[in-house]
Amino acid sequence: MLNTIVELLKASGADAWEITEISERGWEFYCIRHALDQHRAKRLESFQVKVYKAFEDGKFLGSASASMAPDISREEAARMIADLLRDAVYVQNPAYTLNPSDGEAYAQSADIDLGAISRDFLQAMRTLPETVTEDLNSYEIFVSEMRRRYLNSNGIDVTAVYPVSQVEAVVNARDEGHEIELYRLYKSGSCDSAQLRQDLSELLRFGRDRLRTVTTPSLGQIDVVFSTDAAREIYDWFIYRLSAATIVRGISDWKPGVFVSEEMRGDRVTVETRQILPNSSANAAFDTEGAAVRDLTLIADGVVRASFGSRQYSQYLGLGDSFIASNFAVSGGGASAEELRQGRFLEIVEFSDFQVNVMNGDLGGEIRLGYLHEGDKVTPVSGGSISGTMRELVRTMRFSREQRQYDTRLIPAVTRLKDVTVTGAE
Amino acid sequence: MKAPFSPYLSSLAPGLKQLIADLAKDYDSVSALSTDSVGFSILISQHGKSVSRENLTTERGTVIRVRRDGQYAEAALTGFDPTRAGETAAWIREELNGQLAVLSELGVETYDTPATPDSPAELFVEMETEQLPENADIPALIERMSALSDRGMAEGKDMLDCMLRASSTHISKMFLTEKRDLRQSYVYSEGSVMTMASRDGRNEADYEAVSGRRGPELFDELEEKIGTALRVTEELLNAERVVPGEYDCITAPDVTGLIAHEAFGHGVEMDMFVKGRALGAEYINQRVGSDLVTMHEGALCAEDVTSYAFDDEGTLAGDVTEIDHGILKTGICDVLSALRLGSAPTGNGKRENFAHKVYTRMTNTVFDSGESTLEDMIASIRHGYLLEGMESGMEDPKHWGIQCLLQRGYEISDGKLTGKVVSPLVMTGYVPDLLGSVSMLSRDRKVFGSGYCGKGHKEWVKVADGGPYLKVKARLG
Repeated sequence: MLNTIVELLKASGADAWEITEISERGWEFYCIRHALDQHRAKRLESFQVKVYKAFEDGKFLGSASASMAPDISREEAARMIADLLRDAVYVQNPAYTLNPSDGEAYAQSADIDLGAISRDFLQAMRTLPETVTEDLNSYEIFVSEMRRRYLNSNGIDVTAVYPVSQVEAVVNARDEGHEIELYRLYKSGSCDSAQLRQDLSELLRFGRDRLRTVTTPSLGQIDVVFSTDAAREIYDWFIYRLSAATIVRGISDWKPGVFVSEEMRGDRVTVETRQILPNSSANAAFDTEGAAVRDLTLIADGVVRASFGSRQYSQYLGLGDSFIASNFAVSGGGASAEELRQGRFLEIVEFSDFQVNVMNGDLGGEIRLGYLHEGDKVTPVSGGSISGTMRELVRTMRFSREQRQYDTRLIPAVTRLKDVTVTGAE
Repeated sequence: MKAPFSPYLSSLAPGLKQLIADLAKDYDSVSALSTDSVGFSILISQHGKSVSRENLTTERGTVIRVRRDGQYAEAALTGFDPTRAGETAAWIREELNGQLAVLSELGVETYDTPATPDSPAELFVEMETEQLPENADIPALIERMSALSDRGMAEGKDMLDCMLRASSTHISKMFLTEKRDLRQSYVYSEGSVMTMASRDGRNEADYEAVSGRRGPELFDELEEKIGTALRVTEELLNAERVVPGEYDCITAPDVTGLIAHEAFGHGVEMDMFVKGRALGAEYINQRVGSDLVTMHEGALCAEDVTSYAFDDEGTLAGDVTEIDHGILKTGICDVLSALRLGSAPTGNGKRENFAHKVYTRMTNTVFDSGESTLEDMIASIRHGYLLEGMESGMEDPKHWGIQCLLQRGYEISDGKLTGKVVSPLVMTGYVPDLLGSVSMLSRDRKVFGSGYCGKGHKEWVKVADGGPYLKVKARLG
């Protein structure tokens, strides 16, 4: 079908075009306790097609896109391309160009054995340190081979093949007459059994502690420590503000040379893009528009150095060759994790759903498990919520030198936000 | 006009029936769901426009479910060739047997589940719509949306953008077994206005949406949302922080819908009963709310984005009374969970798309109306807030904890709105306490279908929820 679509696009009158052929082979396993609820296989293919038309001597560029099924007929495909060209007339944006071919044929491929990866995951889940009082309620395992081929009218024709895996785990902990659950969704390339065991063992421990919590008191303002995956939200606020589209839209005023905060009394953050992070689910040599992905420093010691983004918004911002980054590393912490856990603070390891609003920096979430540290006294707490805004908290935030990876994010293992408002549940 | 059923799916039917017959030699409970849903999405912003002949619910593919030795399995594929059903059957056998080899090697036991009854049924439903997305006048729509975006920019202060979105989908689904042949076609649409402004380094945005089981004619309603979005954005730019604490509150219908969804939507999804993940199982026929609280769930209990004729397992749509005057009566259920629990499916087996597994999912989740007026409700509060603007929610069915991230609260003092706005808000609480505190409900109600719902943090499906204004006691932070 691909050749037919290319042929139709070349004859269509489009000034430029792009095709992304996406193929996925996947295996899935769903377990209740350790019994198999269901197993599933999938074989999927689609073609994402985008056409471009230039207007007013190239000052404006119209575009429109569609997804085509692999069994689309030649006539249907031709009709769809004609519709897209008609639509493109009405969505004219300031002109930009598609990525040029650099002559390199990125044929990144891997020998992906769905059976072997599935076996590793199933084995890892079945050998966790479960006890009579802390165990797995249920879990789901997803293993896929993703094959992404990108072609455009400038001659790019590149293919990436990579594994994408996901595990959803629900943990129970119980004592006499009382049971609680905790939830995790892990995404990765393939199975890192040791890491999975470590993360899920931690979750089982959290489950045990959740059973002996007291209601979170009204703490007013207190330092809050993040040491689990909720911290990704905090660093994604930085990443979002570095995106070319966000800057063009005026949501972010960050530009090279600007400090991320007017006052910086805490640690100075460094943010980098990474082409490869070990076992990330997004390790590919090129992005979804065919641009080469590379390591790039976006913020160095609290000072913005660069931004990144799609071809369209990067050109609007005058970035030259940029790319859509997927993997990020954050560093710059001045203290160890242990040093950050000093004094009076609330370490929250489980939220119902912690969120940072990327638009305005407001953050909030209900506490499912926290540890209130007051000198030598540590009290597990639950209930209530936290609120604040990154606009203010960024000035004094501190984070550890040690890092921890959550799929596409390598971030400080421990982050401490100063004077966060904690509403108790009493 | 009727939304016509997909000719593409009709052309697959003979081959799928052949495939089902072939697989029935080795498996029982063989069924097929095929989908062919077309549509579009448009985004108009001051900083870029886009149009696509697809959206989050357009899809074309087939999923086959089989059972053998008490074990259910599925295979999902694109490009099913009805003239080569035998090849597809061979691929399904090979893949599923390959998986069973790995499972057997590891000694994984089966969660034994009875066979699915296959009673004869035929259904062919083409629902009414004014327009079809595939025939929509996209250029005219883009021009109208662009004009509205420009108007928003001109009428607002310190505007960053006025973004409009529109998407419309013509859904066709076909469910086949040896004895059942169900086919449905309907159209749903959703649109939104998002106004963004920045003042003194503070960014704020408001999102106002329209939705319905209607065609692109729905987007005429976007115009009236511009003024609301601009007013709310201005209010947010001047909003203050709430003093944390427990307050008398009135929830606007969108917040009421969020409570319905998070409190007794997820809490009574009966696949969670099978896993022992929901407290609701232990509270059937017990009081979970005040006598004023009645709540319905089902594709038939409102007409919105997820009001279908049958679900993704071929169960006909229903209308379940989950809570009747404060008493929890029942939950909602997919086919396999019903088989495991010995109950009946309720028409709530849904997939993100054909390639995803079925879970018990919500459709329309709605509180019944009451007898009060909003004015009476405001007048009854000495100090509290009128809560509007739902952003997101999260449930804890095991504990009946609830978290609602809300956009804003309008202060009420001595029975009157003071004009003071607080934002953002985190509303938390224990569901029976929250619903037990319901003391007044308004006469009118609204249903909102612009959102997606996840199971955990994945499996996104369309849902709608709503109800009247509720007076409750809630903890705000």
